Amino acid sequence: MVAVAQHPNIKMYTYSEVEAVNGYIGNFTVTIRQKAKYVDWDKCNGCGTCETKCPTKKLKSEFDLGLGNRTAIYKAFPQAVPNKPVIDAENCRKLKNGKCGVCEKICPTQAINFDDKDELITENVGAIVMATGFDLFDWTQTYGEYGYGKFPDVITGLQFERLVNASGPTGGKIKRPSDGKTPQSVAFIKCVGSRDDTKGKTYCSRACCMYTAKHSLQVLEKIPGGEAYVFYMDVRTAGKNYEEFYQRSLNAGAKYIRGRVSKIYPRGDRLVLKSEDTLLGMPIEVEADLVVLATAMEPARGAEEIAKLVGFSTDKDGFFQEAHPKLQPVETFTGGVYLAGACQGPKDIPDTVAQASGAAVKVAMLFSKPELSTQPMVSEVDVSKCSGCEFCVPICPYQAISMKQVEERGPKGPITRQAAAVNEGLCQGCGACISACRSGALNLKGFTDEQILAEVDALCL
Amino acid sequence: MKRVGVFVCDCGTNIASVVDTERVAREALEMPGVVYATNYKYMCSDPGQDLIKKAIQEQNLERVVVASCSPRMHENTFRKAVGDGGLNPYLFEMVNIREQNSWVHNDKEEATRKASDLVRMAVFKVLKNEPLQPGTIPVTKRALVIGGGIAGMQSALDIADTGYEVILVEREATIGGKMVQLDKTFPTLDCSA
Repeated sequence: MVAVAQHPNIKMYTYSEVEAVNGYIGNFTVTIRQKAKYVDWDKCNGCGTCETKCPTKKLKSEFDLGLGNRTAIYKAFPQAVPNKPVIDAENCRKLKNGKCGVCEKICPTQAINFDDKDELITENVGAIVMATGFDLFDWTQTYGEYGYGKFPDVITGLQFERLVNASGPTGGKIKRPSDGKTPQSVAFIKCVGSRDDTKGKTYCSRACCMYTAKHSLQVLEKIPGGEAYVFYMDVRTAGKNYEEFYQRSLNAGAKYIRGRVSKIYPRGDRLVLKSEDTLLGMPIEVEADLVVLATAMEPARGAEEIAKLVGFSTDKDGFFQEAHPKLQPVETFTGGVYLAGACQGPKDIPDTVAQASGAAVKVAMLFSKPELSTQPMVSEVDVSKCSGCEFCVPICPYQAISMKQVEERGPKGPITRQAAAVNEGLCQGCGACISACRSGALNLKGFTDEQILAEVDALCL
Repeated sequence: MKRVGVFVCDCGTNIASVVDTERVAREALEMPGVVYATNYKYMCSDPGQDLIKKAIQEQNLERVVVASCSPRMHENTFRKAVGDGGLNPYLFEMVNIREQNSWVHNDKEEATRKASDLVRMAVFKVLKNEPLQPGTIPVTKRALVIGGGIAGMQSALDIADTGYEVILVEREATIGGKMVQLDKTFPTLDCSA
């Protein structure tokens, strides 16, 4: 992270979103909205005094997934990059009702600026790498049998990560969210939302088998006498050293039970998991203090919108569509737009890093040439036939057609009129404009009307 | 009439098990302009491409038709071969007799007839092909990376290390994404920060 921030060739816009993308491969114009931070990061030295003094202290930390608290002026976590805070305008007393301003008073560098506004920035780039990642399937909306989220001790794998993380809300000690006690028995349920076409997604989320193996190992290592139960459909450990890692969790004592948990309900301060052990062919009941769900990865919130905005397609699950599943896993159908990581499909870290480097090479390949050669099978206009009706303009999915003024000889001297003009960099040769052209002025090079009719003749004559 | 060469690919058994490629090549010789036609086991292979290049020179071909797989697979391969053979790469047509024929049909007679029809269409079309020249457009040598998680950071660093400028946009106030929320990561259990 720090390497990114310190790299002389990288300019970071955090707390920012891409608002508009225009142009085409090699020549994109991007509008970026930098959201109001209410803190002048040029002045702020990241000392953190404001966070300790902010009176609004009991906000749920998004970074800790609700397991810890944060203040209204906050850094997501102590090692944030850049290491500067922002003010959460929705919850800041000063911004909400004008009273407070403690942070402004105590800030040693006068960095607080309550008048801060969103800022629009324009940048020109030649290539775009999409790396918008994933979010987790919201199991609380669909999994009634696991309590719809009403049992505090049923958590997700990512929440478990915060519990075992040394910089997390419990300082790395595994504690139950309900009462802060150390759980003696932890149950893991895999494929929550993935491989479940009735409630969730049809696909396998790929990383869960491995992180659940890791979680069970952490329970057994961190909790003396602790027990880890893993309910699974299949154990999928395709990856270098993955099977060995899974075996390590088995050897450490993780108890794997093949079956889907059909019900979770409380008994005293514990939770009961009812399931079937499909290998034994009999019902099974496990009591646990904490239940961890391996929830499906799904496209990050807003993925569909940004795909539309940048101008490329998504697949049936909303992940970004690669140009070819085997041979072009990094490219999209839009020239100059590349994919990296889980935005293209569920992925673990090694695969993500590999694809990200692949995307970087594609960008470097594009930049290594002095100029780009365009494919010549593009639309062309016969200006003498074009009536300037503009029908082709809205039809073009690539905004490649515009109207230009042409001068020609009229009965009483030169006259000016408008005619269509095709931008050969933008045109992808799809042919949509040709069928829309009423005067027959447009033709696709390599697929002219004459050529198409010759094909028809070949069959019919 | 332009001199046309037709090259029919067996694709191992992918095409040849359903389409009688020899017959397609034979029938192609009856089509207008066709002065040379042959089939070969793998047209995309080096010897396959050499076959095309040689025929262009020895038979003075002016147009080339290759009947093989989807253009998405090998159109560029054959365009390049045609170019290397001395023709404008766009004086070439590709016919898909694999994905749109042998892979979806069982009846050998019908599939072969369809392949011949498709080849005839391409021959008629290629006679009307004109040489085309690619244009050029300038490139702004700066990249935009959207997302500052592990994927975005890795991409940004790699691009930046090749010497090009990178703009990294992240919607949260900090980069790091999901990765920094994780504790140790499998299978090596090293820290993720």
